[in-house]
Amino acid sequence: MAETPTTVLFDELRADQVELVGGKCANLGELTGAGFPVPPGFAVTTAAYERDDIGDAVSEAYAELGRRVGQSDPPVAVRSSAIAEDMPNASFAGVQDTYLWICGADAVLDGVRRCWASFHNPEAVAYREAHAITRAGMSVAVQYMVDARVAGVMFTLNPVSGDRSSIAIDASYGLGVSVVGGEVTPDSFLVSKVTREIVRRQIGAKATEVVADVEAATTVERDVPEELRTEPCVSDEEIGRLVELGRGIEAHYGRPQDVEWAIDRESGALFILQSRPETVWSNKPRPQAVAGGAMALITATMSGRKVTPGE
Amino acid sequence: MTEPRAETKFLSPFDVPTPEGAEGWEEMYPYYLLFDPERREAEEKRFWFYNGMHFPEPMPAFDMITAESCYLSIGLYQGRVFQIPTVLGIEHRVVNGYVYITANEVSDPAEIEKRLEVFLPRIGFYYQNWDMLVGRWQAAVDSAIAELTALEVPKLPAIEDEQELLHDHKLGSNFRLMTAYDHCIGLYNELNQLHFELLLLAYGAYLTFFQFCQAAFPDMGTQIMTQMIAGYDTTMFRPDDELKALASAAIAHGVDSSFADGRTPADVLAELEQSKGGRAWIADLEARKHPWFFMSTGDGFYHHHRAWVDDLRLPFTAITGYIAQIHAGRSLDRPKERLLAERDRIAAEYSQLLGSDEERASFEEMLGLCRHVFPHAEGHKFFIEHWGTSLFFNKMREIGAVMAEHGFFESADDVFYLNIHEVHEALSDLGLAWSGGTAARGTVYWPPRVARRKEILARLSEWTPPPALGFVPEVITDPTVQLLWGVTADRLRAWASQSDDEGITGYAASPGVAEGLARVVRDVNDIGTVQQDEVLVCSVTAPSWGPVFPKIAAAVSDIGGMMSHAAIVAREYGLPAVVGTGHATKLIKTGDRVRVDGDNGTVTILT
Repeated sequence: MAETPTTVLFDELRADQVELVGGKCANLGELTGAGFPVPPGFAVTTAAYERDDIGDAVSEAYAELGRRVGQSDPPVAVRSSAIAEDMPNASFAGVQDTYLWICGADAVLDGVRRCWASFHNPEAVAYREAHAITRAGMSVAVQYMVDARVAGVMFTLNPVSGDRSSIAIDASYGLGVSVVGGEVTPDSFLVSKVTREIVRRQIGAKATEVVADVEAATTVERDVPEELRTEPCVSDEEIGRLVELGRGIEAHYGRPQDVEWAIDRESGALFILQSRPETVWSNKPRPQAVAGGAMALITATMSGRKVTPGE
Repeated sequence: MTEPRAETKFLSPFDVPTPEGAEGWEEMYPYYLLFDPERREAEEKRFWFYNGMHFPEPMPAFDMITAESCYLSIGLYQGRVFQIPTVLGIEHRVVNGYVYITANEVSDPAEIEKRLEVFLPRIGFYYQNWDMLVGRWQAAVDSAIAELTALEVPKLPAIEDEQELLHDHKLGSNFRLMTAYDHCIGLYNELNQLHFELLLLAYGAYLTFFQFCQAAFPDMGTQIMTQMIAGYDTTMFRPDDELKALASAAIAHGVDSSFADGRTPADVLAELEQSKGGRAWIADLEARKHPWFFMSTGDGFYHHHRAWVDDLRLPFTAITGYIAQIHAGRSLDRPKERLLAERDRIAAEYSQLLGSDEERASFEEMLGLCRHVFPHAEGHKFFIEHWGTSLFFNKMREIGAVMAEHGFFESADDVFYLNIHEVHEALSDLGLAWSGGTAARGTVYWPPRVARRKEILARLSEWTPPPALGFVPEVITDPTVQLLWGVTADRLRAWASQSDDEGITGYAASPGVAEGLARVVRDVNDIGTVQQDEVLVCSVTAPSWGPVFPKIAAAVSDIGGMMSHAAIVAREYGLPAVVGTGHATKLIKTGDRVRVDGDNGTVTILT
């Protein structure tokens, strides 16, 4: 039997390889394999966590990534990918570390080690205890970073009402960290999954954005110019593309998804940075039908009892 | 959330001021339709809302029968036939000439249970035998319309005809005139009984389906619900289709240049008479107009909303517009196949999104039932409100003409300024005077009163009725009220707290956003003033206004619920529409630049 690899490229991964690369990487591999536009990257496996010398393997995988994107020392995001993470019953959202706009093999390796260290930070330990998670194991995702003009999150249901015919999109300028971290009030859109109509749009303040500082190989926060704040940061056409991707990803997994996405500053191309099962409404019991057929329903209505599938 | 009671109270019906110059308006209406000071305490604690959806103008005295006849029938079926568990019937009153209504609801659970025992088997009979009952309904309507068409209105001759009285042993002309009037009223009432026989059950099916959808998909707009139900070959589209055919025929006969904006139908017809092609087109018109030109220019509740047969302006304007569209290379065909395919796709996707097969089965069954009742719910309007009602008013014009001939009025239409009971009295007066050989008192009694009533109505039409009076109830359970008028307790609270400088909000009836200059149209007869790309702002959007929709950029109405026909027409033409705003005609002036957001149900005045 071949030795378990230290690194695996996303396009060689599938959803069932959680034990090897953790939830996030397995999902990214699955999305890549299904043809969704995921920025390329690789996983540093859970097996590598046990090994002393991973430097060469990580450097080589990083170099391969550079060849693929045609860039030496390409900027990457280094993020934890625990076995129990991004699973249908627990998101681990924000509990473990993420390092953005990392350039160079040494910096990547350093990021990987820091992610491993975060596995033992008090928040992560407490989260695992709270969710009774005993399966421990830590992989790290190293993913090419899109220089996002705009980024955000998309739920393929309405996170407020649980309505599965809706797609909710939050978007703001720059990298998605502003939206995920709640640092800005993003633009917010509610779109019908069925008719694709934008049924509600709220323009957020979007006062700041986090963007890449290419020279310093890091990210910086800066003010968004006044005139851009009151404009929607995504066009209706971009929302349309997002909705199609959201529909596709949900159909692929067969359940509502929580998707992080970004739009490339130069090309305008849309990328999926990660997708995980929506965890709040998906774990509530689905609404149940009122017993009986049309006559029973009409009788209920005409008797002043609301036809609420939940009762 | 509890709200302060003060916000949920409207003006008392007893405190509504009479507009200057309209003093004495009460005399026009029967005593039983006026708010009664002796019952003040009970009456002002109830909740009354302005039925501007059906009665957007002050009621001429006679036209009040259109409301009376409808409420005679609605309550008959709600309360006495079907025993709808939560409602007895609907009452109406008149305030400053406008119709206010209230539903008598049943809230006692024991009483509701008891009513269910009658309700269930009876509605079961109706839903299970729907097609047979629609056939029976149509036969009864056809028969009433035929009888109304054939109804003879006798003149009062100086000497009775020898054959008729001596040999045929007929009733005298004075008796026959009075009988003709009673028969005319009777047939109109018969048509209105039929009006609601099946309609309430169709709306019950809609409401149930809507509630189911709202529970399963809280974000689903009512426009999607109606879109899933709608068909596109109902009777109500037929008159418009005939206009499109006539536009094509004008081009085929080479007479399309005779149709131009600003020309009267008489001018156009006179020119057409001059050419062979023109005469051929007139023959087409004659062949196509019966019965479809019995379409009223309004909603079929006012005598002055003439049918197309009597006033060709609206159909000719529409034909002119359709000719221009054909020349511009646009197809007039309703994209029926595409609309139906999209309707079915949407319904199938929602069905798939439901959580269980059991829910899917309920959804499909309710949807199937709604689609099954849809053609009747839409199609009845042509037969009752348009054809039947237009015939009824025209028959009344014949009676008015006899009265005018005998000095009661200056013109036949003055009869509509007497209420139904006064006409009865006046005909007795006329019949007695004719048999007695004298001039009727009516000849001096009515002319000044008719003149005064016209003045009063002119003053009242300048007044904007408040959307509601009295107290807002905690909940509104009458399905008819919710569905037809879009009146829910939440909406009423919004109306009650809406101040003039706030935005205008209503139901998002048809999606999209459009800007344009507003054209406020209070009276259907002013519909010709609407210019290309304007935003139509009206009290209520009526189905017969269909031909104006290709012209406008968006539609806004004060009144309108989920099933207001305008919402369906607006969607068909892909125009943004916001209905049920309560106040739009009051807040927006003709010429204001407005933005209509049909996605969010808001209207913004930009300048």
